[in-house]
Amino acid sequence: MSTKEEKQRIELLQGTLDLLILRTLLLGPAHGHAIAKAIEFRSDDVLQVEQGSLYPALHRLIKRGWISVKEGTSENNRRAKFYGLTAKGKRQLVVETSKWDQLAVAIARILRPAEPRAPQEGKP
Amino acid sequence: MNRRKRMLNDLDQDIRDHIELETQDNVARGMSPEEARYAALRKFGNVTRVQEETRVVWSSGWLEQLLQDIRLGLRVLPKSPGFTAVAILTLALGIGANTAIFSVINGVLLSPLPYKDPKQLVIIREHESLPNVMDILRQTRAFSQGGGINVEKMDYIGPTEPVHIRVGSINAGFLETLGVQPMLGRIISPGEDVQGGPRLATVSNHFWQNYLGSDPHALGNTIQLGGNSYTVIGVMPASFAPPAEHADVFVSLMARDPRSGAERDLHFMHTYWRLKEGVTLVQAQADMAAIDHRLAEQYPAEEKERKSQLIPLHEWLVGNVRSALLVLFGAVGLVLLIACANFASLLMMRAVAGRQELVIRAALGAGRGRLIRKTLTESLLLSVFGGAAGLLFAKWGTSLLLALRPEELARLSGIHMDTRVLLFVLVVSVLTGIVFGMAPAWIAAGADVAEALKKSGRSTTASTMGHSIRKILVTSELAVALVLLVGAGLLIKGFSRLRSMNPGFNSANVMTMYLQLPKTRYGEIPKQTQFRRELLTRLNSLPGVQAAMVTDIPLGGNYVGHHFVIDGRAPVAVGGEPKVQTLSVMGDYFHVMQIPLRAGRDFTPLDREEQPLVAVVNEEMVREFLPHENPIGARIRWAGDAGPPQWMTIIGVVADVKHLGLNQPTDPAVYTPFSQSDEAWRRFMTLAIRAQDTSAGLVEEVKRQIWSLDSQIPVSDVHTMDELIAVSLAQQRFNMLLLGLFAALALILAAVGIYGAMAYAVNQRTHEIGIRTALGAQRRDVLRLVMRDGVKIALFGIASGIAGALALTRLMASLLFEVKATDPATFAGVAILLALVALAACYIPARRATRVDPMVALRYE
Repeated sequence: MSTKEEKQRIELLQGTLDLLILRTLLLGPAHGHAIAKAIEFRSDDVLQVEQGSLYPALHRLIKRGWISVKEGTSENNRRAKFYGLTAKGKRQLVVETSKWDQLAVAIARILRPAEPRAPQEGKP
Repeated sequence: MNRRKRMLNDLDQDIRDHIELETQDNVARGMSPEEARYAALRKFGNVTRVQEETRVVWSSGWLEQLLQDIRLGLRVLPKSPGFTAVAILTLALGIGANTAIFSVINGVLLSPLPYKDPKQLVIIREHESLPNVMDILRQTRAFSQGGGINVEKMDYIGPTEPVHIRVGSINAGFLETLGVQPMLGRIISPGEDVQGGPRLATVSNHFWQNYLGSDPHALGNTIQLGGNSYTVIGVMPASFAPPAEHADVFVSLMARDPRSGAERDLHFMHTYWRLKEGVTLVQAQADMAAIDHRLAEQYPAEEKERKSQLIPLHEWLVGNVRSALLVLFGAVGLVLLIACANFASLLMMRAVAGRQELVIRAALGAGRGRLIRKTLTESLLLSVFGGAAGLLFAKWGTSLLLALRPEELARLSGIHMDTRVLLFVLVVSVLTGIVFGMAPAWIAAGADVAEALKKSGRSTTASTMGHSIRKILVTSELAVALVLLVGAGLLIKGFSRLRSMNPGFNSANVMTMYLQLPKTRYGEIPKQTQFRRELLTRLNSLPGVQAAMVTDIPLGGNYVGHHFVIDGRAPVAVGGEPKVQTLSVMGDYFHVMQIPLRAGRDFTPLDREEQPLVAVVNEEMVREFLPHENPIGARIRWAGDAGPPQWMTIIGVVADVKHLGLNQPTDPAVYTPFSQSDEAWRRFMTLAIRAQDTSAGLVEEVKRQIWSLDSQIPVSDVHTMDELIAVSLAQQRFNMLLLGLFAALALILAAVGIYGAMAYAVNQRTHEIGIRTALGAQRRDVLRLVMRDGVKIALFGIASGIAGALALTRLMASLLFEVKATDPATFAGVAILLALVALAACYIPARRATRVDPMVALRYE
């Protein structure tokens, strides 16, 4: 296996995964497994995140101060870490979301220049 | 930091919990528990990598990782103490030797001279008289300042006994030119540096400390020098010394001795000049040639053959030792190369041995870069430790160098570990670690994981590649060692030639000491002669003592030359007469020194004042000037004498004496009796005393006899003749010892290198050797099998070494004495020596190979 290729993929996913985590936590604090499940469920299982990669991302967000961590009890009465959005994280989510929208629109324009309104038509 | 630790500590638990939850979900979906756990793990991905990447989030980047690697290295290295010790020691020897030599080069060649703008300073190779110095200063367009110095020993009545101190007679420009400010008081000003000027002295720091008690109020004190009082007006800083002279006190020549200061043909000052801003050496030399021309026209009698050569001061000071130092630096660089090759070879073996670990790390997802970095960090750690240990060696080595230093390396006193030396060590160690750690790291990390795991780490491509690289390394080590051995061999041979040179006298059991009669009481020749004669009578009456005296003792570094005229030859233009070394003697000098008489007769006590003038000449004088006639009875006289010619008759011929050094050619020389001298200024003499016991007791007895005649005559330069010979050989001995040391070091390192490689190869082939033995191979066959490899390496190494030596030893031709740089005997001897050492180093592992028990070997692994 080539580590080089993988690294590139992780880097590619990095920003996206961060955004997805922040969006998920907007609904309320959750523990790691729950976040993974939520992302899978809410994307209709389209986004198959390698669950492990969640942890470096979570730690990265903690380090940046966008999310905080609290001890809590999980649904099956186990001690678990609950991650929640901080105020800074909420602000960041807004910024990131609008960035993402701009990116998505821009890429869509490039990919389908002849059908500028295609995204709207595609989702009736 | 704390948060980071807490977060990471909990990470393992978090991951376990996560996988647990996922497993439960899967079970809930109807999987069997085993299936469920497997699926959960698969979905989670590589746990190790997740942990690694999470850790990276919290690390502050490369520095952190480097520290991690270093910590890992520090933990791992002590686990193989043998490897670590050998690696560090090898590098420490190489780096230490290099640092020691570099600190010498740094102190002698690289550091600027301790004067103001030292690059502007030049000297005139020829000695000058004071009137010439003044004329040059008046006429020059190239120099901004200039001055000269002549150091003489003068007696100073110190606190305990009369001593000789070195008095530098200067003009005011001398200290100004060097541009060093006095620590106390001032230097002599041009207004005081005149005929009839006040007797003033600027003293050295050494004099101030030893004789003026470091008194800060010493200015204004008077000191008695050579019978005159001088007022102390300044003290120089401790860091100051004239570039080439050693002087305790500086006085104005004009004020001290107006007569000799005014004599144009008394060329006895060594002069220093400062180039004007922007003037090049070439321009200055041209300007000097014009001045030479004018002076020659103006003073044809004294200055006819002027040809002043300007040399930059620094070049003049270090020119003699530069080539020796550079050869030594080259040699010690080669030692470092061998040490590095050994180091690389060690790393390579370790890398191959530790491949299993690396392969597993790679399989677990460690990146190739990370693996290289880990190995590289290890080698860097080793090389930095080696450098640190090398500093210790260097400190020790530098003091050894200082102890061995020859006179020419006088500037060595300024040698110490400065930042430049430390920087040198750092750069060398780090470069060594990186350059020589790179190949092993590359090979180690270049493992194809799947392949390596399949073959369980034995005889993979990487290790065979490592093996051939190691062979190359060992071959080059032997080649380089041979070059060094040849260099050392040539120097040793040259030195033994030099040692066995006949100096022309018998140095054993001869004690010498220097005396100078004060001018105030011994200004006239009869008084001098009376003292000399009386002293020799007293000394010769001591039991078992034969004493004589001469103006300048052989190997003492001085002599006076005179132009002379041979009776009956066509007259030669004034100033163009041939020159000889002139020595005045008294007592049975040739007998005491055991200089053989070749023809005619020796001086007798009857060859004295009021008697016909006589002279004894050496063989070189006869060869050069009287080759076709019987020298006995020929007459010569000194050129330039006023009044009626004073002809001296040659009465004898003695053997040549190496006066200036065993490696120097003999100059023609004329010996005359002290008592017939007409030069009252020759008030100095060196006693030569042959006695069974030349210990301190004899010296004390001789001093007692001198002081019983005159209690105020200082005695100095007490040496045995053997010591003088040793001093004259110091530079050659220095070169030889150092290069010899380096060559020995190289030999040992190369032997260790080839031994290590062979031992390792035998170890790798244990299995194969076992099979061969089981199939009936005899011990002899096994021995031959193993030795064949070693012999091949040795022969190839020696052959390339000889080629390299032929190319390189030429560079050291200037250091050799009567030995050609391609001396076949030395080459052959050294090659044989190296071959024997290499064979011995191969034989030990080879013999071990023959002891391999086939049963054990086949079970091996």
